[in-house]
Amino acid sequence: MDALKYLRVVLGCVLVFLVLAGMEVLAAEKPITIAYIGACTNLPFWITLREAAREKAKELGVNFLDLTPPQLDAQAQKDAFDNALQQKVDGIIIGAADNRAFDDSLNRAQAMGIPVVAVDTGIDHPWIASLVQTDNLASARIAGQYILEHMQKPGKVLIVGGILGHQTGDARKNGVTEVLEKAGVEVIFRAADWSPEKAYEITLNELNAHPDITAIFGAWDPGALAAKAAVAEKGLLGKILIVGFDGDPAALKAIKNGEMAATIKQDNVKMGRDGVQLLVDVIQGKEVPKYIPIMGILIDANNVDEFLKE
Amino acid sequence: MFSGVLQRFQRFQRAFQAILGLVLINIVFLVLSPTYRQIGNFQNIFAQATVLGIMASGSTVVLISGGLDLSVGSLLALIAVIVGTLLARGYAVWLCIVTGLLIATGIGCTNGLVVIGTGVPPFIVTLGMMMVLRGLAELVGAGKDLYSFPWSFRILGSGYTVPVSIMAAVYAFSSLFLTRMRAGFYAYAIGGNPEVARLAGVQVNRLRLVYYALGGFMAGLAAIVLTARLNFASSTFGQGMELNAIAAAVIGGTSLSGGIGGALGTIVGVLVMTCLSAGLSHLGIGSSWQRVAIGVIIVLAVWLDIAQRRRVLK
Repeated sequence: MDALKYLRVVLGCVLVFLVLAGMEVLAAEKPITIAYIGACTNLPFWITLREAAREKAKELGVNFLDLTPPQLDAQAQKDAFDNALQQKVDGIIIGAADNRAFDDSLNRAQAMGIPVVAVDTGIDHPWIASLVQTDNLASARIAGQYILEHMQKPGKVLIVGGILGHQTGDARKNGVTEVLEKAGVEVIFRAADWSPEKAYEITLNELNAHPDITAIFGAWDPGALAAKAAVAEKGLLGKILIVGFDGDPAALKAIKNGEMAATIKQDNVKMGRDGVQLLVDVIQGKEVPKYIPIMGILIDANNVDEFLKE
Repeated sequence: MFSGVLQRFQRFQRAFQAILGLVLINIVFLVLSPTYRQIGNFQNIFAQATVLGIMASGSTVVLISGGLDLSVGSLLALIAVIVGTLLARGYAVWLCIVTGLLIATGIGCTNGLVVIGTGVPPFIVTLGMMMVLRGLAELVGAGKDLYSFPWSFRILGSGYTVPVSIMAAVYAFSSLFLTRMRAGFYAYAIGGNPEVARLAGVQVNRLRLVYYALGGFMAGLAAIVLTARLNFASSTFGQGMELNAIAAAVIGGTSLSGGIGGALGTIVGVLVMTCLSAGLSHLGIGSSWQRVAIGVIIVLAVWLDIAQRRRVLK
């Protein structure tokens, strides 16, 4: 059979199917619909957060539209946001890959009266109805305190950070730095742009440049694990204290194996659920607090088993 | 005489097929999604298409001439951080823009010079350049908070009218360039058979330089529109965008082996990709499926093209 004819038949079938599917969509009654735009679909932290949010939306009987772009990409996220506005959803949850990209879009959301709740990363705009966030500064102080108590002294501490100017990363850096510098420990900070490859290279370079580094703080677990790989390559595993942030499964395993000392677990399940609840509250006209801080939980060898079971 | 007519018919037909696809996709979404039917949605789609559209117009010219430029995505990032840095230092907006465009054009030229001068295949040269430029972008952008630019700069990417006008001007130019200007028209000859073109008296090397420079310029312009649109600059911009630009050109009927294609087809290809991703969002279908769909469409478009051409030749 002629390839072209074959193709026409296939395309025709697809068209009919789509129209039928669409009619079903149109026939359904219209409940509240919220759009969820996470930072990406390939990081464990964001996957857990999204699934918790989806679950909560289901419990509340709310339509959950997942528009998360596959990778950290500010442009794709802004496009997703604009598409959500265009669909006139009842509200939007945004977990910003970069908090600086949304001024324009939030102005539009404001003009259209579509409420927006931010999770994880704060966005500096008056239209954000509420921010649900790990109290990064306070939680990082816990990490700083842990490092101070467990590191070999004298020694320097390397902080492998996120993107400079990114609110989350900056707060984590500041929390750890604050505690350590108050105690007179020298801190070296390098921004790794949330890229594990860069975290790996930075760690290798800094270990070569400063043999007196005795502890490393990775501002997010994949970064801390990358730092761990660099430390292992230098044969220093066990000699250098490594502390992460996020509580990813891989980091928990590393703690269990004694390769990493500790991590701060973000309660991303609570973050996702609270985000949805707050947004639905706003849509239904209730007053909500502007900021919901969520405290991080310190996980080290003593309590790691509890979290590994989950 | 006959072959000329056939060629013209084929060139138009390729763009025509992409337009048909675009219309078909839009009919499906218009029927299925009530929110897709609004004027605002189409303004949205055009605004979203601008950055890729501007870049892809340059890639099209390079592809038609038988070249390939994989470095434009990284170039976009480099120009974004350079222009962002200059703006943050408080230089005049026009100066920042001109500097950015000049550097972009210069880097495009460099690509061309290396390709012509060394005889290393463009795939390798621009693949290397892609890494070099990404690294440079990271170096320039490292440790800087490039955010919140003056309004006179942001207007270039804000809203709908200005960026879409820029894109329209870009396509008006590249269309004219390829069909009415000798330098552009020769791209088809060079892409089809550089040796024959050279024997016919075309200055092949000089022109190839022009095409790569044009590709660089368009990547720079895309960087400026994107930076203005997002109101911040980052060395992570444009990752994989060079491949999206090539995909758009291919969907629009431009041949990867050179000699065939056109600007009209490419803008339609860009719109196919943008409409698809916007439309699937409107139907609540996630971004991973959008990628799957675009991937299938690329192969489908080329297959349809080949099948059609075989029939014409029979």
